[in-house]
Amino acid sequence: MNLCMSNQTDIFAPSGLHGKPAELLEYPSEKYCPFNTNSVGIRSKGVFDLPLQRTAYQRPDQATTTTTAFSSHTPDYPPAGRAFIMEEPEDPYYVTMYYPGSVYVDMSDVVPPEVRPKPAVPAKPPNVGAPSPSSPFPPQGPGIGGGGGVSGLPPSAIPVPIVNHGHSVGHNIGHGVGHVAGHVGGHTAAHNGGHGHGGSHSSGGGSTLLGYIGIDTIIEQMRKKTMKTGFDFNIMVVGHSGLGKSTLVNTLFKSQVSRRSAGWARDEKIPKTVEIKAVSHVLEEGGVKMKLTVVDTPGFGDQINNDNCWEPISKYINEQYEKFLKEEVNITRKKRIPDTRVHCCLFFITPTGRSLRPLDLEFMKRLSHSVNIIPVIAKSDSMTIEERQEFKQRVRKELEMAGIEFYPQKEFDEDMEDKSDNDKIREAMPFAVVGSDKEYPVNNKRVLGRKTAWGIVEVENPNHCEFAQLRDFLIRSHLQDLKEVTHNIHYETYRAKRLNANGGLHPISSNDTQESNL
Amino acid sequence: MSSNIRYKSRIPVKTGEETAEEKQYVGFATLPNQVHRKSVKKGFDFTLMVAGESGMGKSTLVNSLFLTDLYKERKLLNAEERINQTVEIIKHTVDIEEKGVKLKLTIVDTPGFGDAVNNNECWKPITDYIDQQFEQYFRDESGLNRKNIQDNRVHCCLYFIPPFGHGLRPVDVEFMKALHEKVNIIPLIAKADCLTPNEIKKLKDRIREEIDKFGIKVYQFPECDSDEDEEFKQLDKELKECTPFAVIGSNTVVEARGQRVRGRLYPWGIVEVENQSHCDFVKLRNMLIRSHMHDLKDVTCDVHYENYRAQCIQEMTSKLAQDNRMESPIPILPLSTPDVETEKLIKLKDEELKRMQEMLNKMQQQMHDKEQ
Repeated sequence: MNLCMSNQTDIFAPSGLHGKPAELLEYPSEKYCPFNTNSVGIRSKGVFDLPLQRTAYQRPDQATTTTTAFSSHTPDYPPAGRAFIMEEPEDPYYVTMYYPGSVYVDMSDVVPPEVRPKPAVPAKPPNVGAPSPSSPFPPQGPGIGGGGGVSGLPPSAIPVPIVNHGHSVGHNIGHGVGHVAGHVGGHTAAHNGGHGHGGSHSSGGGSTLLGYIGIDTIIEQMRKKTMKTGFDFNIMVVGHSGLGKSTLVNTLFKSQVSRRSAGWARDEKIPKTVEIKAVSHVLEEGGVKMKLTVVDTPGFGDQINNDNCWEPISKYINEQYEKFLKEEVNITRKKRIPDTRVHCCLFFITPTGRSLRPLDLEFMKRLSHSVNIIPVIAKSDSMTIEERQEFKQRVRKELEMAGIEFYPQKEFDEDMEDKSDNDKIREAMPFAVVGSDKEYPVNNKRVLGRKTAWGIVEVENPNHCEFAQLRDFLIRSHLQDLKEVTHNIHYETYRAKRLNANGGLHPISSNDTQESNL
Repeated sequence: MSSNIRYKSRIPVKTGEETAEEKQYVGFATLPNQVHRKSVKKGFDFTLMVAGESGMGKSTLVNSLFLTDLYKERKLLNAEERINQTVEIIKHTVDIEEKGVKLKLTIVDTPGFGDAVNNNECWKPITDYIDQQFEQYFRDESGLNRKNIQDNRVHCCLYFIPPFGHGLRPVDVEFMKALHEKVNIIPLIAKADCLTPNEIKKLKDRIREEIDKFGIKVYQFPECDSDEDEEFKQLDKELKECTPFAVIGSNTVVEARGQRVRGRLYPWGIVEVENQSHCDFVKLRNMLIRSHMHDLKDVTCDVHYENYRAQCIQEMTSKLAQDNRMESPIPILPLSTPDVETEKLIKLKDEELKRMQEMLNKMQQQMHDKEQ
């Protein structure tokens, strides 16, 4: 199973595609990391030798492979990469083993074993230990042999606790493993002596662990979890009225998620101040659910005097951060804080063909530090290709001169690979797009486009406009990154400001006064 | 008409074979011809103002209309510089000649209009400019030497409405309301090549509706005479229903359908500027230059200028009336003690007013004399 952790790939691909990374779950903890690791691995007491407890528990009907695998474990364990016992063993049967450098995930919510594909050969019930789900001795059997029976999933690498039964106290891994153990091919604990060492095949590789553990299955597990819980994404659209914001969002997500301002039949007057209208929809694709919220800002830049028309928008963004902050500092936190923070702000530039408008510049200056701004050139079918290139260059230059960093920001590039990818994207931004919700036949295909007297502008044709690029960038590769930057950087900036401002948070409510000296 | 043959020559040929009809013929049917010749010698002038936000394609359109390149050395500001830009008025003058007829064309440009963040009263410099031209003409007209009056009055204002919106925006409405009684406004939909035909139609309907709703008096085409033929009437009707014109401008020549035409080249097709099914550029050009140029000038002189003049005179007379009242037997104490400077100014103004009053009296006298 080749997994690449780095870049996002098509999250909308059908779930049958393995080897594609799942989206990281969005956890409310401030430093979201599913893996509770320190640099070494686990804080352990570092007990090296466990002479007696290490004897394998041999199950009578154990496949030989396991035995062989097991026997390859010599009692003298090299210190590096070996498992440590987490705590002083009071009872030989109650010891839990951890491998340094391994990753642990809270498997408490993992899909129960029933959902997982059954092994080819029926598993045998454990001889020892309660047949509770938290039993560390799940049906063993053939799965161990090599996990080949299952659709290519590697054996789970979660070490199995030596403890016989449900005593998985304090170690999340404990009962979790019990579940996992049911996992096909997975595993490990044939035995009590529990090396929890999976399978016989040596995925050795560069690992100092002997044999394959299956740590990489974590990706698959996370993917499954994401599919179950879904995730949410909040996008804000800002621009003068009539620039096709709603049409573009509808085209991006291929559904009617944004209420068109009733286009031409609008009887309402232009709002006197900028309003904020948020509409949510739940979209599903390939088993993945997404709660998409589109925040519209009608009235931006439409008045004669547009001074401070960005203020309602700035206020809204900060309000969302505040809401999240409040939830975070609660004593009893929700397991999953509803995230209404704006992850991405699509800013629509009027295609004057010459340069940015002063209002556009002012807005971006003020908001580029509190939200990810992605500038887009709207209605770009009014410019020829040369004009478009010139315009883009000018816009980029102006943004640079004004010190405005749009997403993806240079300062947040993590490594060289990111940097080179993002550089390419930055060179191509702002994307010149055309949106449409009507289809026309072109070359015997029906495509989204705009039909004029001189031709049909195809929305998804890269020679016509850059919509496809924008979509790929926004949804297929950087969706999760947008959320992360919002959470790790913009939200943190806001939080730090708030915490510094008053020497601590204001008492948020009478219940939370204890939290005020954060 | 037999006199058609006649008006080629100035003096009717006197031959013995004058028919009875010819005896009746006086010859003043040649007047238009004479006027024509005189004007051709003198040349025409036309002042056109273009207003609208930057990037609407105003300069391109003007260049396309008149086939010139008026904006060679133009420096375009970028966004930062434009944040606090005020509206300027820039004049470009060019002499064009076509088939012996000279036209002195003046384009009044208004860079900076509607560009700033706060556009309150951004039309004020424009209305001030128009008033200034009227005032200057008024003075020249009332002056002593009236031979060479320079007519700088603005004859027509092309207002560019962006195609991106849903109709008229507040700034559009305010601008047009401030100017509709000073100058002939012709609203245009700029950059119409980003709209589909359906969208153009809807936008036009909506703009016409809003113009009616807000009571904006845009330039109305004169009704055609009842004796024109049906075809002309039909064309005229179509023209009227097409307003506001959706225009595209271009001076680049592209190859389309085997011909070289002015247009814009897109990956999905070629927009031809002079193709009637693509945009209304041809209609605008015909209307502006080929049929209604003179009418625009007339309306400016007869309506807008007269309005201005009447207003001006009314103000002056009301001021004078106030002054007269001031000299009533009951002395009205001054509300504040004016200092020396303001007193001087007041005196100057008084003198000016008296002079104007005298002129008015003279004119009235003349009119009286004529009547008698």
